[in-house]
Amino acid sequence: MIALFENMVLNPIISVGTFARFSGRAFTTSCSSCVKTKAYPLILTQMNLIGVNSVPIVMVTGAFVGMILAIQAYDQLAGMGLEEHLGVLINVSVVKELGPVLAAVMLAGRVGGALTAELGTMKVTEQIEAVKSMGTDPVRYLVAPRVLACLFLTPLLIIYADLMGVLGGYFVGVIQLGINSKAYWTFSAEGVELWDVSIGVIKGFFFGGAIAVISCYKGFTCREGAHGVGRACTEAFVMSFISILALDFALAVIFKAIYNTLWSVKSLV
Amino acid sequence: MKNNNNKNVIIRTENLLKRFEENLVLNDVSMSIEKGKTTVIIGPSGCGKTVFIKHLIVLLRPTSGKVYYKNKRVDELDEDELSSIRTNFGFLFQSGALFDSLTVTENVLFPIRQHIMHIEKKQADELVASKLSMVGLDGFQDYYPAKLSGGQKKRVALARAIALNPEVILYDEPTTGLDPIRSDIINELIIKLQKELGITSIVVTHDMTSAYKISDQIIMFHKGKIFAEGDADTIRNHPNQTVQQFINGRVDSEDLKALKGGKTTLFNDFTNSYR
Repeated sequence: MIALFENMVLNPIISVGTFARFSGRAFTTSCSSCVKTKAYPLILTQMNLIGVNSVPIVMVTGAFVGMILAIQAYDQLAGMGLEEHLGVLINVSVVKELGPVLAAVMLAGRVGGALTAELGTMKVTEQIEAVKSMGTDPVRYLVAPRVLACLFLTPLLIIYADLMGVLGGYFVGVIQLGINSKAYWTFSAEGVELWDVSIGVIKGFFFGGAIAVISCYKGFTCREGAHGVGRACTEAFVMSFISILALDFALAVIFKAIYNTLWSVKSLV
Repeated sequence: MKNNNNKNVIIRTENLLKRFEENLVLNDVSMSIEKGKTTVIIGPSGCGKTVFIKHLIVLLRPTSGKVYYKNKRVDELDEDELSSIRTNFGFLFQSGALFDSLTVTENVLFPIRQHIMHIEKKQADELVASKLSMVGLDGFQDYYPAKLSGGQKKRVALARAIALNPEVILYDEPTTGLDPIRSDIINELIIKLQKELGITSIVVTHDMTSAYKISDQIIMFHKGKIFAEGDADTIRNHPNQTVQQFINGRVDSEDLKALKGGKTTLFNDFTNSYR
């Protein structure tokens, strides 16, 4: 009975506690790393690995999202004679939701998996302890550069995904399905506001931060052996994915509330 | 040991106890280590030797008990305070624990780059070459750890451990996996570091030849406790049966009986299942 209570109640609470402390430490050390020039080479290396190398895959993801949306939505809109509005539908969906979320999921797989595997292997081969034994804080040396790289570059990668999503939608909608190009862009320009694009990009900060902190945490708490590293990677991806969806929901509610507060007067007029 | 007030004591533990869940790994270990001396810790595998030396630089925190470095209690310090204390230590991990994404040079320079703001390239190259030649590996600067043999990794790790000229070096099985000649080179190196630079060494080992050669003091651990201590001669002539068995590498008669019995049973099971 006590063992069951420990497994069902205590252990999850302890895990949440350790994760919260780890995140707090990761956040404070990341902030202090920002002002230390010594940390810049490490951050730049991680930016290259995490950001630059992810550009092609994120662009491909974005392009497919745009193209698939165009194919799926065209028939329904054409049935109502509204096919010229296709641009609004695709572009709002891409910049507000699908671009950011799918790019983040792609990054959780590509970057998160690599981070957990790398740090997990370092943990089981005592390399993290070795960093510690030489008087260096492993969170500062290993976690902060990765968190900062993810935090700053996920929004940029989302812009790439958005761009390709818009172009993909245009390609299928206008070039393949023959919608009038001028009408397509005019309706798109009227329907998509700067606000829509901005919240998509702002979401990137949260998604990037979540992916980095979760993946690093899973790497740092990895269990012994090849099995341990494999398990940590799986858990990191699943947890990142759920967090991305949960954050997306929470942010959608928050941004909607902000939007309604700021522009409620306009809608009344 | 009761010489707690001795000025030469550099590291001291008091009633150190460590438990991993149900498992009691260290049980009430009190020990004083003198400055400039080489202390060798021996004992069967799994008796808590590695766990003990990890406590000395607080890579592990004790369940209860205290650890002192130069009369300052260290086991309760936070990580930031510990960082500066750890720069006085070099730790040679059993597996080497080299950073496999960095070259040999970058590995050796790691602690220097972390603690000294700026170092000229020429000066850094000279320093790496001098540390590597101490362990007989000058010329391997651009290798990645994956290209090195087990023994070479360990020696690079040793070069890294001595990079900051620490006061205390903790060696976790420095000669395991090395051929006899290389082992002796490591022994000579430990002696040289002690004689020339006055470095305090704490060596965990199974290698009795090495233990006799380098030690000022030998401590034997058994089941998480200090079982025997003294200089090389005291240990060599220790009256206790368990100590004699360990240092001479003889298997216990009961273990031997179990082994023989086990083998027969296994064999019978195997043959019976095919009858």
